[in-house]
Amino acid sequence: AGVLAAHKITASSPDTDLPTVSGLRKMGVNFTVSNKDTVKSSDVLFLAVKPPIIPFILEEVGPDIEARHILVSCAAGVTISSIEKKLSTFCPTPKVIRCMTNTPVIVREGATVYATGTHADVEDGKLLEQLMASVGFCTEVEEDLIDAVTGLSGSGPAYAFTALDALADGGVKMGLPRRLAVRLGAQALLGAAKMLLESEQHPGQLKDNVCSPGGATIHALHFLESGGFRSLLINAVEASCIRTRELQHLADQEKISPAAIKKTLLDKVKLESPSLSVASASKVSLFTSKSKKN
Amino acid sequence: GVALGAWPRLAMEASELWGGAVGAGRMAGGLVRGLLQAGKVPASNILASAPSDKNLDAWRELGCRTTHCNLEVVHRSTLVFLATKPHILPGVLEEIRPAVGSHHIVVSLVAGVTIQTLQRLLPPWTKVLRIMPNLPCVVQAGAMVFSRGSNAGDEEAALLKSLLSSCGLCEEVPESYIDIHTGLSGSGVAYVYLFAEALAEGAVKMGMPGALASRIAAQTLLGAAKMLLETGEHPAKLRGDVCTPGGTTIYALHQLEKGALRATVMDAVEAATNRACDMAKD
Repeated sequence: AGVLAAHKITASSPDTDLPTVSGLRKMGVNFTVSNKDTVKSSDVLFLAVKPPIIPFILEEVGPDIEARHILVSCAAGVTISSIEKKLSTFCPTPKVIRCMTNTPVIVREGATVYATGTHADVEDGKLLEQLMASVGFCTEVEEDLIDAVTGLSGSGPAYAFTALDALADGGVKMGLPRRLAVRLGAQALLGAAKMLLESEQHPGQLKDNVCSPGGATIHALHFLESGGFRSLLINAVEASCIRTRELQHLADQEKISPAAIKKTLLDKVKLESPSLSVASASKVSLFTSKSKKN
Repeated sequence: GVALGAWPRLAMEASELWGGAVGAGRMAGGLVRGLLQAGKVPASNILASAPSDKNLDAWRELGCRTTHCNLEVVHRSTLVFLATKPHILPGVLEEIRPAVGSHHIVVSLVAGVTIQTLQRLLPPWTKVLRIMPNLPCVVQAGAMVFSRGSNAGDEEAALLKSLLSSCGLCEEVPESYIDIHTGLSGSGVAYVYLFAEALAEGAVKMGMPGALASRIAAQTLLGAAKMLLETGEHPAKLRGDVCTPGGTTIYALHQLEKGALRATVMDAVEAATNRACDMAKD
């Protein structure tokens, strides 16, 4: 999005063999195996590790956190208060922001919300908002809504992928080649979403606008209604939200011994591909608005 | 029973018109009651016919004139409402045919009988219109649609519309919509009664006395319908307006969606419409 120059970004990961690492390197991001180095050279720290690992990262980098640092956690189900509590031994007033985004940030159509912690200023939140707005929609919310956001737009792309797969199947059944079916299905959802976002009208009204009397669409919609389409979607959002809360609850209770997590997870994670990197960004380039494209 | 409607010599201006829908049947009765309530017609200008007195008593109580002679109705009036049961109509039409002139306006309330059939059974110059009302015409909150036959012109359509608008919503439509109207609104009234009953039952389960629950249920439906009609907003938007995040309404709506209420209602309208079509073919 041209918001931040790549050389001002540092990413770290213990495992340099991950495909994401070479991907980041190719973009010109500075790479290091030392989380501590990352912290030292950055102002805004995105913690992009899996939720159970957050406590360990915080322990590791805690001593190096200074007043200028803004910690942004994207970890699902990890509360601001749990992070602040963990850091309290190192830093009296850590600036913590909790964020929930989704995968389409990759194509700059992400949906992101954030909630600011006790010691984060308004401008800290605005900084994050500026960053995340460059990759999609970003707005501030109360922390207690973040689980609902997870259920809706966090998991949402999965619901959409499932729908698209099925729509494509429908197309194929009726004679379309698969690639074309996928392309058309995706475009239909993209177009519909765009219409809704750009319109003042209620989605119900937009739906009506497509349904000519006795036509093809209304016949199809009847099938969707008969199958309880709407309630399935409501159920999905609800289930994802509730599960997020469950996981958070389990984490808060620290039911699993930290040592056990550390061993099994770190081993396991080395075998998996994404998300064991701590990426961070320099604050300076943003404030001076010298946003250079790489 | 057989019944015909009548008016004395008809003036084409609604304001000068004295008359009412007649038919000893329930539907025609509803229309007449609505017209009388709206003050469009003095009861004494309505002549109703039926073979037995049983049906006609109610009309007499309203102040209408009655007779057992269908032909008398046709002779004495210009605007003639047909409100018989479907299987009786052909016989009645044959009976009155000789007396039907080009000045007559024949309006059929008979379910399932098409304009084509009516025109076939009446003299070729007859102005025919077909109407499908619903029961709440009785309380002047009806929904009616009508279509015109080949000889019925703008004047006749305008007259009918102006008369019947006193009973509620009255719209001219292509004849193909009439069966759909049956499924939506003719039978639809019953769906609403069912819904109201269920609402009240839910309240009773939660501890409210039945009579109170029923009245509140009815008022809720009335109020919601009124808001729909008066705001002109899309129902989905009005629904959203009532749903505070995480509140009672959205929880309840989820239950309705789980029960596929929408599809069930669509099924009901479809079933009634198809049945109307099938019955018309008989």
